[in-house]
Amino acid sequence: MSTLELVGVSRWYGDVVAVNDVTMTVGPGVTGLLGPNGAGKSTLISMMGGFLPPSSGSVTLDGVPVWRNTEVYRSIGLVPETEAMYDMVTGWEFVLANARLHGLANPVAAARAAVDQVDMMDARNRDISGYSKGMKQRIKMATALVHNPTVLLLDEPFNGMDPRQRLHLMELLQSLAAQGRTVLFSSHILEEVEQLAGTIEVVVAGRHAASGDFRRIRKLMTQRPHQYTIRSSDNRALAAAMIADGSADSVDVSSGALAVQASDFGRFVRALPKLACDGDVRLLEVTPADESLESVFSYLVAR
Amino acid sequence: MNVTVMQLTARNLLGRRRAMFLVILLLLLLGLAMLTRWASDASPNASSVLANGFALGTVLPLMGLLVATGVIGAEIDDGSIVYMLAKPLRRREILFSKLAVGFAAVFIFAVLPTMAAVVIAGDEGGQLMLAYGVSAVLAAIAYTAIFVTLGIVTRNAVVFGLLYALLWETVLGGYVPGIRAVSVRQWALSVAERMLGSQANGWAVTSEVGMTTGLVMLGLVTVAAVYLGVRRLRTLTLNSIE
Amino acid sequence: MADNKAAPDAAATPEQSQGVIHDIGFRHYDGPRLGRGWIVRSLLAETFRGVFGFGRPARAKIMPWILVGILLAPPLIFALIAVLLSLDALPMSYTAYLPGMQFVVSLFVASRAPYCVSRDLRHGVMPLYLSRPIRRNDYVLAKFAGLALAMFAVLAAAETLLFVGALLAKLPLGAQITGYLQGLVVAVLLSLVLAAIGLVIAAVTPRRGLGVAAIITVLVVLSGFAAIVAVLLTRAGSASLGNYLGSLDPYALVDGIAVSWFGVDSAFGRQADLGLAGGVAYAVGATAIVAGGIALLMRRCKKVGIA
Repeated sequence: MSTLELVGVSRWYGDVVAVNDVTMTVGPGVTGLLGPNGAGKSTLISMMGGFLPPSSGSVTLDGVPVWRNTEVYRSIGLVPETEAMYDMVTGWEFVLANARLHGLANPVAAARAAVDQVDMMDARNRDISGYSKGMKQRIKMATALVHNPTVLLLDEPFNGMDPRQRLHLMELLQSLAAQGRTVLFSSHILEEVEQLAGTIEVVVAGRHAASGDFRRIRKLMTQRPHQYTIRSSDNRALAAAMIADGSADSVDVSSGALAVQASDFGRFVRALPKLACDGDVRLLEVTPADESLESVFSYLVAR
Repeated sequence: MNVTVMQLTARNLLGRRRAMFLVILLLLLLGLAMLTRWASDASPNASSVLANGFALGTVLPLMGLLVATGVIGAEIDDGSIVYMLAKPLRRREILFSKLAVGFAAVFIFAVLPTMAAVVIAGDEGGQLMLAYGVSAVLAAIAYTAIFVTLGIVTRNAVVFGLLYALLWETVLGGYVPGIRAVSVRQWALSVAERMLGSQANGWAVTSEVGMTTGLVMLGLVTVAAVYLGVRRLRTLTLNSIE
Repeated sequence: MADNKAAPDAAATPEQSQGVIHDIGFRHYDGPRLGRGWIVRSLLAETFRGVFGFGRPARAKIMPWILVGILLAPPLIFALIAVLLSLDALPMSYTAYLPGMQFVVSLFVASRAPYCVSRDLRHGVMPLYLSRPIRRNDYVLAKFAGLALAMFAVLAAAETLLFVGALLAKLPLGAQITGYLQGLVVAVLLSLVLAAIGLVIAAVTPRRGLGVAAIITVLVVLSGFAAIVAVLLTRAGSASLGNYLGSLDPYALVDGIAVSWFGVDSAFGRQADLGLAGGVAYAVGATAIVAGGIALLMRRCKKVGIA
């Protein structure tokens, strides 16, 4: 069990601020680092991986500073974004070399386990230069897993993967997290983060815009209108009750279901069952229409 | 030293087209040596001019540069060095391993061919070969250290290295006498000059500096380069932002 | 993402399943489209600018401008010497200046040629260019012309500075104008030949660092090799052959053309008079390098697929 802790971390290049006063704690489980391109995700991961000193603030792993401390790599596995590897070797040789660089007691067994874990046993003896993007990505995963790290940092790991490989990697990350490891990955694709991450950290323009469970974050932003799709035994009666009560701002009854917009989330959630009960209306379906990460995210970005 | 680092480095260095360049350079030098022998009847003097001007002056620094880009420059350029750095290895260990591979390559592709070229072009009892061999080894150590460190410090390592090796040592050195004393080649030559003793002048093996100065300067420059290299490698920042 | 919400009964929420394209203000472009000529010209201009680092971060400007600075400094010194010592000619002739600065010129080509082509080839950008109305050969010609023009701009600037210096030193005008024009011809020839060699080597070494090293290695080793061969052959009594083989060095080749066309002294101190045959042979050699280089580049770009 390892915890990465960032306190007041900023990083600037000349007069460009890439990361601005970020404080976050990344603990066991899967954490998604989410943000649009150029938001500072890679800079953050570089700092967490000890490849970039923060201009101010501190990055520590279980209380030990990460920068200029090569010992932390015993517990950190890093999957860099860069495509480049040592092209002249086969996937197997490369993972094995990484195991040896870690000074493991039994590098061959460790490499075999890692290659097996990413499902690359069949293609392990081919030159890396001949791999597809997804295969390269999996070999990179294997090099990061070879020493059984407690912390796994992945920079845009799903880039270039086909849906099947994507699913496989998601399962792998989830099983790693279930073993109590700290897994952090960056992405600008909401679908991945939504499916995978228990916790998200949102960075926008170098600032830490939000963190936590994304549904909870969504609730925190009460000033934003929430939309629901409701089907019930008597749509019109329910609509009238909601408007009369004032818990919904607007209700659209024109289609087969109710499209409801409410600006006070808490009040609406409490009022709805009461209104339905009082009016003797059976609720068949209540679906948040915009509770996807996409809408949370586009809201944060547009702010 | 780390065997795995050395293996990966060596494969990277000798892979692709770089190895071809190294071999072509080597063959050119040997070809010229044969031509020199034919044109000047194996005179040690002509042999010495070839070894001094072409082998030590051009081939050795170029080889040093080509090797240095292969040993570390290319890896930093494309970011693959991250796999070596993200390991519980001392950065010193990584650099020393890479320097060892680099020196071995320069030794095989430049120092040995220089000695062979002297033998082919004309020698007298192996004296010239030995003198140039020792000089070339010393110069190779210094060049490897300087250029590998340069490769860590700047991405324009090749151009800066060439500016130094060719413009400074060869062109400027030709016009401004003071500059010639600040030159790896002259320092290395001082040893050959001493080894050949009274014959040095006749064979055109002359250095701007004495042997003590030469050796001290070579040692200083090499140690300084290695020290700086380790320091910079320790704080090497990597970021995928290009 | 929408599918897991619309799941149980899609018909119930028709407004979600019917696709709508919102008008957010995009407009169609109905105006005239610029054609092939314009693309080639833009590519050429972009290459030219890129060689000097224009339109790129300051970091990319350091190298080219250091080299340009080194190349342009000596003419100022020469002018000063001519004034101070009241000479009646520049300390170095117009045709000899560029071959004399060959290391710097070589470094300039070596550091800039890879910039022109290797990134396009390495990152597979070629298909993007070719998805415009442009042909492969247009691309090659535009890149070649861009680099050659940039080279010429630098070399001609050096010659011009020499000329200006000579005028300021009040040297005899007639001789200076002739010399200046001859110098410009040398600059043209050198730019063409070096651009061709540089681009070909850069195109086969897609890694930038290696490309730089490879070009400089080829140029420097060719010079060194050719110089030694020339000296050895001359010493062995076959000066003409020495001169011809000496022209393996592109600078000596251009120098040979200047010697036989203009009757100036060789910058390399080559003595043998090759006469008309030499002038023709050198010109053919230079043409062959440029034409061969472009042909090789076209072949190299033909193999570039989507990969």
